[in-house]
Amino acid sequence: MALYNFKKIMVVPTAKDFIDITLSKTQRKTPTVVHKHYQIHRIRHFYMRKVKFTQQNYHDRLSQILTDFPKLDDIHPFYADLMNVLYDKDHYKLALGQINIAKNLIDNVAKDYVRLMKYGDSLYRCKQLKRAALGRMCTILKRQKSSLEYLEQVRQHLSRLPSIDPNTRTLLLCGYPNVGKSSFINKVTRADVDVQPYAFTTKSLFVGHMDYRYLRWQVVDTPGILDHPLENRNTIEMQAITALAHLRAAILYVMDVSEQCGHNLQQQLELFNSIRPLFANKPLIIVANKCDVKKITELTEENQKIFADLTAEGIPVIETSTLTEEGVMQVKTEACDRLLAHRVDNKMKGKKVHDVLNRLHLAMPAKRDEKERPPFIPEGALTRKKAMEVDAPKRKTERDLEMEMGDDYILDLQKYWDLMNEEEKSDIVPEVWEGHNIADYIDPEIMKKLELLEQEEELKEKAGEYDSDEESEDEEMQEIRVLAKQIREKKQVMVAISREKDVHGPRMPRTTTRVERAKLEKEMGSLGLDMNNKDDSHYAQNARRSRSVTKKRKREASVVPTSKTRSQSASRPPRDQSGVRDPAMAKKAKRMMKHSQKDMNRQGKKGEADRHVYDLKPKHLFSGKRTQGTNDRR
Amino acid sequence: MPQNEHIELHRKRHGYRLDHHEKKRKKESREAHERSHKARKLIGLKAKLYHKQRHSEKIQMKKTLKMHEQRKTKQKNDDKTPEGAVPAYLLDREGQSRAKVLSNMIKQKRKEKAGKWEVPLPKVRAQGETEVLKVIKTGKRQKKAWKRMVTKVCFVGDGFTRKPPKYERFIRPMGLRFKKAHVTHPELKATFCLPILGVKKNPSSPLYTSLGVITKGTVVEVNVSELGLVTQGGKVIWGKYAQVTNNPENDGCINAVLLV
Repeated sequence: MALYNFKKIMVVPTAKDFIDITLSKTQRKTPTVVHKHYQIHRIRHFYMRKVKFTQQNYHDRLSQILTDFPKLDDIHPFYADLMNVLYDKDHYKLALGQINIAKNLIDNVAKDYVRLMKYGDSLYRCKQLKRAALGRMCTILKRQKSSLEYLEQVRQHLSRLPSIDPNTRTLLLCGYPNVGKSSFINKVTRADVDVQPYAFTTKSLFVGHMDYRYLRWQVVDTPGILDHPLENRNTIEMQAITALAHLRAAILYVMDVSEQCGHNLQQQLELFNSIRPLFANKPLIIVANKCDVKKITELTEENQKIFADLTAEGIPVIETSTLTEEGVMQVKTEACDRLLAHRVDNKMKGKKVHDVLNRLHLAMPAKRDEKERPPFIPEGALTRKKAMEVDAPKRKTERDLEMEMGDDYILDLQKYWDLMNEEEKSDIVPEVWEGHNIADYIDPEIMKKLELLEQEEELKEKAGEYDSDEESEDEEMQEIRVLAKQIREKKQVMVAISREKDVHGPRMPRTTTRVERAKLEKEMGSLGLDMNNKDDSHYAQNARRSRSVTKKRKREASVVPTSKTRSQSASRPPRDQSGVRDPAMAKKAKRMMKHSQKDMNRQGKKGEADRHVYDLKPKHLFSGKRTQGTNDRR
Repeated sequence: MPQNEHIELHRKRHGYRLDHHEKKRKKESREAHERSHKARKLIGLKAKLYHKQRHSEKIQMKKTLKMHEQRKTKQKNDDKTPEGAVPAYLLDREGQSRAKVLSNMIKQKRKEKAGKWEVPLPKVRAQGETEVLKVIKTGKRQKKAWKRMVTKVCFVGDGFTRKPPKYERFIRPMGLRFKKAHVTHPELKATFCLPILGVKKNPSSPLYTSLGVITKGTVVEVNVSELGLVTQGGKVIWGKYAQVTNNPENDGCINAVLLV
């Protein structure tokens, strides 16, 4: 695909930088540690990896350079020719060829040394081979120093070329230096081309864009050309010639009527004739510039004859002055119209147009009676169309007023109102008067309208438009609705009951409260379950088994230990005193307990069962390399 | 100025910023401080590279300064006398006599017989057999150890065919066979890549000579027809001896010096 931007080419590094980058990349991205005592295949693999990595990097970068730079055969001939003029096709191709050769040489070197490394039987030998391989690759690249420099300069210049689309509508300006081409393009487009009194101010092609008839047009400004044969032309003029030769554009040949450029009209005519062959098949217009200084009618007879001849040949001659802007628009419209007509003609002659034409069909409605019905175009549209073509001044907008008045400006839309009494325009409109809303009385019919609306609503309601669709529901749905209603009512009743209850303290879950059998049967019965003959059921059996009557146990005096705990009731003794005869035994028991806990406490364990192993030297904090600095302390 | 050069165009139309030149001047003067800061604070590999580069820069600077200084003062030129100049009382009146030529010839023949060559590397480290030949185990149980593989770079001739693999005792792997050597002419100081014709003598052992093993110090015969040397009689020389000056198995290439 042709590149018309040329800005995406990656930077071409200098030979020294290239080598530095690649070698440091190898050093960073491949493993760095290898020891003599490793197995030989590991050592070999280590060094082979470095050689291959370096080769891969060089290969990738060089291939990228080769693909980024445009092939002169693949791009549009205009750009190919322009690049030939600017950079010399042979030199360009040679430089890229050298890079290609270097790439292949590097690949071969890597292949050879990797093959040799398979026979390396010691770390020293493999290391020397790797050193030799990398050194060789870098030497190959050092030899490409000049090619790389040249390509970098080409890339910089290429990225600054103006983006000219060779296929779109273009106007091309040509002529002697200093005739007014750059002033013309400055007037017509937004391109800011340097205009100076010395010749060859414009040293390269410039492009500007303008709009005409809802289309985008390119205007290309060229450096001036002098009249000498093609072989003697320098680079700057050759760019203009290239543009003339390859761009299918409308040519505007600019001539200086006042001869202020330093060349008289005869010379300008000769130049015109000598580059005439380049104008074949292109719409041509002669622009007679600087007519504010001297008009054609003020010229001598023979000079006027020149223009007359040209007009007789069918080439329009238009007088312009880029200073006073007369005739500039005329040139623009004339050139654009001619070019459009030319392009349309070409398209019609081509083959593709039939595909489109066959699909187009203009349908004319059949006449049904004799009455004439011409298209109606309102007056305003016609005047506006005329204004657009003539560039007449538009009506004053509010914005213009704002600019004029500056700080005093107030937006007053009431001045556009259409009132019977003109003086009332600036009156303030009240909102309330005597307790009534004025908005209610704007419309005299408003009450009648309200009545009508209400009647309509009544009718609608009667007709049942707002009733819900009940007939469409089937029996099932209706049953569900009835049930749902019952459930809702029951829920509300339950909520009301629970609110009335006075609950103190924590609420026990339902399962702790005993449910009486009779109550359960009554509740379930009320809900609709059949609760007769439920003696064999699970809940009934459970109810019989549980102790409904608790027998009181006879209180016996238990043996109380003669210790402090006497004062407590005869309930269970605390665990550290149960089974302990005397204070000595109690003391011993306590000592044993403390002794067994000592170890756990010292190790900070939570209890007997805490077997957690703490990671006191986590690997991620104690291993790894630092980019800069030592590993003496972490 | 191309259309894309906004900065230059702006400068042309509106000139520079008011403090532009001062800022530029100050930035340039700060460069010395920044360079010294870098030289002091860099560590590691970057420091090594930087110091090496800086060292070479400084050497160049010193040389240039010295050159400039030399132009200012005139010094006695010590080596005005050309090489080979002999004081008048040592001049030979007749030039080399025939007897001298004959005696030189005899001396050379004697040297050749004795096997003593005048070579750039007279003494080389001898390579033991364990270094040069690696034992290859063969057999059903990998017990037989009569095969040897050459671990150094070797040369086999054009018409070389291996013995049947079952019977070959010395294996010379294809990856280690080289055909070309980089030969330097000692007087012209130019290096050429010349094809090898054969191995003349390996200083370590005659076995290696017969095998064609090339190590440091080996005398090798190279094809010098490219150089276009001609004898006094008018015959074209196409073979000359050269001695290997590097360890080819470590460098991956054979570097030799031509024996003139």
